[in-house]
Amino acid sequence: MQREIHIEPVTRIEGHGKISVFLDEKGDVRDAQFHVTELRGFEKFCEGRTLWEMPGLTARICGICPVSHILASAKACDAILAVRIPRTAELLRRLMNLGQFVQSHALSFFYLSAPDFLLGWDADPATRNVVGLVAANPELARKGIRLRAFGQEVIDRLGGKRIHPAWAVPGGVHQPLSAENRAWIVSHLPEAKATILETLALYKKAFASAELRNLLGAFDSMYLGLVTPDGLWEHYTGVLRLVDMKGKAIVPALDPSQYATIIKEASEPWTYLKFPHYEPMGYPEGMYRVGPLGRVNVCDRFGTPMADRELEEFRAGEKKRSGRVFDYHYARLLEMLGAIEQMEVVLADASILSPHVRAEAGINELEGVGVHEAPRGTLIHHYHVDKNGVIEKANFIVSTGHNNLAMNRAVREIAKTYIKKGKVTEGILNRIEGGIRAYDPCLSCSVHAVGHMPLRLDIVEADGRRTTLCQE
Amino acid sequence: MDLVIGIGNPLRGDDGIGPRVVAELGPVPSADAIGVAQLTPELALRLRTADRVLFVDAAVAGEAGTLVRRIRPARGHGLGHAVSPEALLDWTERVFGRAPDAWLLAVPGRLFDVAERLSPEGEKALPEAVEAVQAWLRSAAVESSEEDA
Repeated sequence: MQREIHIEPVTRIEGHGKISVFLDEKGDVRDAQFHVTELRGFEKFCEGRTLWEMPGLTARICGICPVSHILASAKACDAILAVRIPRTAELLRRLMNLGQFVQSHALSFFYLSAPDFLLGWDADPATRNVVGLVAANPELARKGIRLRAFGQEVIDRLGGKRIHPAWAVPGGVHQPLSAENRAWIVSHLPEAKATILETLALYKKAFASAELRNLLGAFDSMYLGLVTPDGLWEHYTGVLRLVDMKGKAIVPALDPSQYATIIKEASEPWTYLKFPHYEPMGYPEGMYRVGPLGRVNVCDRFGTPMADRELEEFRAGEKKRSGRVFDYHYARLLEMLGAIEQMEVVLADASILSPHVRAEAGINELEGVGVHEAPRGTLIHHYHVDKNGVIEKANFIVSTGHNNLAMNRAVREIAKTYIKKGKVTEGILNRIEGGIRAYDPCLSCSVHAVGHMPLRLDIVEADGRRTTLCQE
Repeated sequence: MDLVIGIGNPLRGDDGIGPRVVAELGPVPSADAIGVAQLTPELALRLRTADRVLFVDAAVAGEAGTLVRRIRPARGHGLGHAVSPEALLDWTERVFGRAPDAWLLAVPGRLFDVAERLSPEGEKALPEAVEAVQAWLRSAAVESSEEDA
């Protein structure tokens, strides 16, 4: 027998998902699964297209993080051209990615997640949204809007438009930075930094206790991300590092093009989203996490003064790396601060206005890998081409995929804590959903689903009875 | 200053009518005109300083011709993938304390599939839509000169 209940709050994740919670005979949680139920098949229909089309084509995977796909794709194409792109082109790609970090993290923090933790998990669903946030703290909401707009404007001024800028190309970038645009970005950095610092202070005050930071559960896992060869926070180049909960490097410094030597993808029949894992430990034991908390946990330091001070405070008193799901939000604020500081460095570089931004070359390799850090985590594009540069095979591993095992684990942990004897209330549901939202999953990237579908929660009792809760 | 916002995705056939109308308008000294794939909360930063705003969007069939109608702030279903003009006005009012007077120009479309061009019906509707925007802009000039007088 099936019972269906509809509840009101919007899902506030980028894409679509469904959750199943399986109960035992006592009505307690036995298992939980986070399903992704749509398939678009980008990897398949890239086959037969030319290399030169790939940055623009793969940008269409997502309207939220096209910049991330453009940059990963351009890097994979650079590898096939076998070129070292001009220094200015690398600086400009870095600048655009940092702008993407700011706009994406601001969207996640202020629009999608802040209503939960600033208004309270058990607040009325009618007000627990960004409009409710405006009523509760209008000044913070206004600053959040301006911060996201700043990140988007950086992308716009570099690429000519905010969504799908056809700017990063194989060999470099399409056009240099103008002095006017450089001046505009520089002039707006202080306000962006001030907003982040103010929000950080507010966040730290609101979530000072370990109990509150444990709201969405905590568990041990490995963490993966790029770092510089010196171990600093990195988002564009560098080496892949995999650490354990002590911060000890399991894989200290892997050439990103060799990712397949440590990462394998498993499949399950109940979801289209694959399960990347650290292959030497097997599946599912090889679970690791990526994204803001992943990068913050793999690096030794940010390498910029203010972000380093904040990172030191974040780690103070901790015997190990944070395993708290909720700390993804904290890590986002740290990363936005680090991103603003890195933008200051990039824009001060003497060669930033150079007109030499593209290396010209033909097809020199038949395989190329592009790896960089998207705001949500490590993004991998891997292409095989024929001698004419026509794609024969493409593989994408996106951040939401890397976090798939962890999201399933997070849902299970929260469900176990808050569902007892089959009792489910709206506040509990939102915590489960919040556990997913902390990872800021971009499901349109991970499986490339189109449109808008509500999150659905199926509760399956031991005798097979199923209750479906839908969030429209 | 008036603001014209053309809404739509140029890769989905007639859905791209809004940005196309803005492109066809050319430079407009008395107004800002922008094309966007979708409405986003940050547009509140532009709306808060605008005197009037005209949203230009494709309408799914049904309409015999272009239609300009007055719209007012109204609570939407959040600020996710689909923000309506009314919800954006509401958001602007809530965040900044005021929203500009607003109108919606609905342009009839036929084809909303994957396509980089407008349908014949969409192309046919284009000149009338551009003229409607220009008339709306002129109406502002008339109102302004009347106020000056």
